[in-house]
Amino acid sequence: MLTRINSRKMKIRRIFIIALLIFGVNSVSFAYTTTELMNGIALGAIIFTLALICLVCLVLLKTFKVMADMLLPKEEKLVIAAPVSELVIEPSEPKLSLWEKLLSLRPLAEEKNLVMDHKYDGIAELDNPTPAWFMWLFYGTIVFAFVYLLNYHVFKLGKLQDEEYAVEMTQAGVDQKAFLAKAANRVDENSVKLTADVGVLKAGKATFIQNCVACHGEHGQGIVGPNLTDEYWIHGGKINNIFKTIKYGIPDKGMISWEKQLSPKQMSEVANYIKSLKDTHPANPKASQGIKES
Amino acid sequence: MQLEKFTYDNKIVRNFGLATLIWGIIGMTVGLLIAMQLFKPSMNLGNQYTTFGRIRPLHTNAVIFAFVGNAIFMGVYYSLQRLLKARMFSDVLSKIHFWGWQLIIVSAVITLPLGFTTSHEYAELEWPIDIAITLIWVVFGINMFGTILKRREQHLYVAIWFYIATFVTIAVLHIVNSFELPISFLKSYYVYAGVQDALVQWWYGHNAVAFFLTTPYLGMMYYFLPKMANRPVYSYKLSILHFWSLIFIYIWAGPHHLLYTSLPGWAQSLGVAFSIMLIAPSWGGMINGLLTLRGAWDKVREDVNLKFMVVALTAYGMATFEGPMLSLKQINGVAHFTDWIVAHVHVGALGWNGFLTFGIMYWLIPRIYKTELYSKKMASFHFWIGTLGIIFYAVPMYWAGFTQGLMWKEFTPDGLLKYPNFLTTTLQIIPMHVLRSIGGALYLTGVIVMAFNLGKTMLKAKLVADEPAEAMPLAKNINITDPADQKWHRALERKPMKFMILALIVILIGGMVEMMPTFMIQSNIPTIASVKPYSPLELQGRDLYIREGCVNCHTQTVRPFRSETERYGDYSKAGEFVYDHPFLWGSKRTGPDLHRIGGKYTNAWHFNHMLDPTSMSPGSIMPPYPWLIKQQLDTTTTAIKVRAMQTLGVPYVSGYDVVANTELQAQADSIAKDLQQNNIKVKSNREIIALIAYLQRMGTDIKANKFTIPSNQ
Repeated sequence: MLTRINSRKMKIRRIFIIALLIFGVNSVSFAYTTTELMNGIALGAIIFTLALICLVCLVLLKTFKVMADMLLPKEEKLVIAAPVSELVIEPSEPKLSLWEKLLSLRPLAEEKNLVMDHKYDGIAELDNPTPAWFMWLFYGTIVFAFVYLLNYHVFKLGKLQDEEYAVEMTQAGVDQKAFLAKAANRVDENSVKLTADVGVLKAGKATFIQNCVACHGEHGQGIVGPNLTDEYWIHGGKINNIFKTIKYGIPDKGMISWEKQLSPKQMSEVANYIKSLKDTHPANPKASQGIKES
Repeated sequence: MQLEKFTYDNKIVRNFGLATLIWGIIGMTVGLLIAMQLFKPSMNLGNQYTTFGRIRPLHTNAVIFAFVGNAIFMGVYYSLQRLLKARMFSDVLSKIHFWGWQLIIVSAVITLPLGFTTSHEYAELEWPIDIAITLIWVVFGINMFGTILKRREQHLYVAIWFYIATFVTIAVLHIVNSFELPISFLKSYYVYAGVQDALVQWWYGHNAVAFFLTTPYLGMMYYFLPKMANRPVYSYKLSILHFWSLIFIYIWAGPHHLLYTSLPGWAQSLGVAFSIMLIAPSWGGMINGLLTLRGAWDKVREDVNLKFMVVALTAYGMATFEGPMLSLKQINGVAHFTDWIVAHVHVGALGWNGFLTFGIMYWLIPRIYKTELYSKKMASFHFWIGTLGIIFYAVPMYWAGFTQGLMWKEFTPDGLLKYPNFLTTTLQIIPMHVLRSIGGALYLTGVIVMAFNLGKTMLKAKLVADEPAEAMPLAKNINITDPADQKWHRALERKPMKFMILALIVILIGGMVEMMPTFMIQSNIPTIASVKPYSPLELQGRDLYIREGCVNCHTQTVRPFRSETERYGDYSKAGEFVYDHPFLWGSKRTGPDLHRIGGKYTNAWHFNHMLDPTSMSPGSIMPPYPWLIKQQLDTTTTAIKVRAMQTLGVPYVSGYDVVANTELQAQADSIAKDLQQNNIKVKSNREIIALIAYLQRMGTDIKANKFTIPSNQ
């Protein structure tokens, strides 16, 4: 008996540790992950939920069995045990299963003492107490609610959204600076270099197709935005000028700033790709705008 | 005293049952249609009347107020008569209630596709219909209380407590959330603006879930489950505790729909705290139901009615645990505006409301026809295909929600958004949306099978329209001798009016504590000097935005997260919304947030995008809006709209209504001219011009001086 209790305790402890590990890993990995990992976590969460559902099903099945076991012998007694009624032992303290104890249920046999006087259209009510675990759940949530409010609004230990945002932005700035300081490909409008490297142009083209064609056309011929294949430039046709236009945009004319969507490397690639479009003479070019630069 | 003979009115129960079936199928079919539009925009059938923005409200209204609404009345009219041992108070009122309610639904089916909407979620119907709802609800109330007063049962059973709470709370919610200033027969403006309007709306929206989808269903569960299982209710004490705590706490939780918006921080925190406290009261209902089945679980194996009830209660338990979890800020930050929320509400709607309704109908219809169900096999098939439908609906939607929520937030080490193009995240989850609509189709199939099965059942027998019953009349002078009956709650159960007033007080507290300070105390909504009223053209454009239901897919509130300010721009401030009657923050981002859209793109971009979204965003699932380019803007309403805004406190100079159309024309001309310069020829009197004006204005008021903006908290 003692060993059984011990092993149960061990089991509970083990489950507890595993749960702690799962939560710990989750909260750590949340901060620094890629989508693939995030997807993995989501998948994990779904699997975990499904496993939980399976567990619940098992628990329910067990409950069914217990209930059925408790019911069936009774019926047998009625049918079979009738002639040997002297053998029926007066029920002493009926045994409760673990589940019934956990749910703080009383044995079904005692139910007749709990039935209340009234019936509504044949529906009776039992005078069962509210389950103890249920009450503790309720008290627990009330305590949580009070602590929550005190934490944010009386002791002000928790950060409200504006402060949370400020912290997030500061941290992001620090991280970004550290990353760019290390990164070799740190480029700005002053240091950007013209190149005809095939790899660069290919990467630039990919970025262009993804982001620019809606306004500038598939071949840079211009639609809403200006033609990028001619010799005319509104905001300068040097690599530095193009980089700058991409980076900061020309908000008044509808060219948006790409600083927050493209990395410096990507902007330099796409600027080089645009330079390579010169004199490609695509079909349906938009009329030239700006100043001629050779 | 002599036994009295009387009859139960079964005809009204049958009629509400039929209406439940018909509207259920219609509402769910519309749901399936809009689900398919999310991966195949051409499923909008190519016209404005069946496009997502207009018929998504039709789906929600049809399933909530038509399907669930009629099911509530079916269940209440059946159980109330029997629990009180009395026929309904007045057959005439019953009939008015029935036909009035159907008429309201028909008017919704007509007006919503036509674009008449207030844009408050689950309260989209315009003011004349709001008045009709109020009247019919009062008819229902009189009929219910009339029956209670002429009852032959001394005490009110727990089911009736829930019915009473439903009646008073829905009345309060509906009236407060319908304060509108009509400007024409089918157009009105909410009296509240911005943050205050948002608070009222989600106080309403959240508690419509509580008191339309939850309390009446708990009441019905308390009647039908013990009847089906032939078991006593597990705990009377638990009934008392969870009833009062549920109705008291629920009312407070509305602000959890507005976390990380510009709602004052204290109100948000109250919403979170009370949501967490709601777990136990909600679970009280589930526990009392499931434990009522104690000793009857063997029946569940054979009885399909009980199977439906068990799944319903389980779904209720899952949804009411998930809800409080979703209201925790950390989880909400990921889940809000994604499909996660859609999954969450459908577990409740399909599982709890749907399955409970089905269980009750399979039990009740054969009873009032004094016959057996036409086919038990079919009912069993319905159960399994319905369950499968729920799983196929919910699991992909959860997955889609996690995926998209996390993609929105992901940064590269360069400090850039990993997915700067919103559309990438939309396209990622399209397979999930396909799976979801398969789930929905399975569920709908089940309902159609049920309709056939129940129809056959009705056809093979005759309705017992007036079911004979008998009971002892209620004694005039009651002498309470039993000590158990002298307890306070037992005494309250004998006093329906006191009971109703007490319930009313209990539900008023939370709403008042949250709303009064938000309305009265200035510091809760810090004003911003640079925020100006809309120009007349923008005002008209905003009404088009409302008409087309843009708010169903696009939010207008940038949350204070780095991932959102990088993507959209500065986060939204309370003072920016002070002229927004109604607020248009939305609750779901099928497309990107639009609060900072103003000035981001050119007029030409917007024109091309509205004409064919895929031309500007290849792969976009937004439907095209060619009718905005064909239709002429109705400028006859400009003056009255300006005057209405003045009445609501928007500071236009006096006499502005007279010159409003002149200014409107000037602004429209300038936009048309700008479009012309980009080779787009469109007349300045078209609706698209007004919509572009509104889009270009949005969120621009504070762009110039963003460093002097007072914070929200």
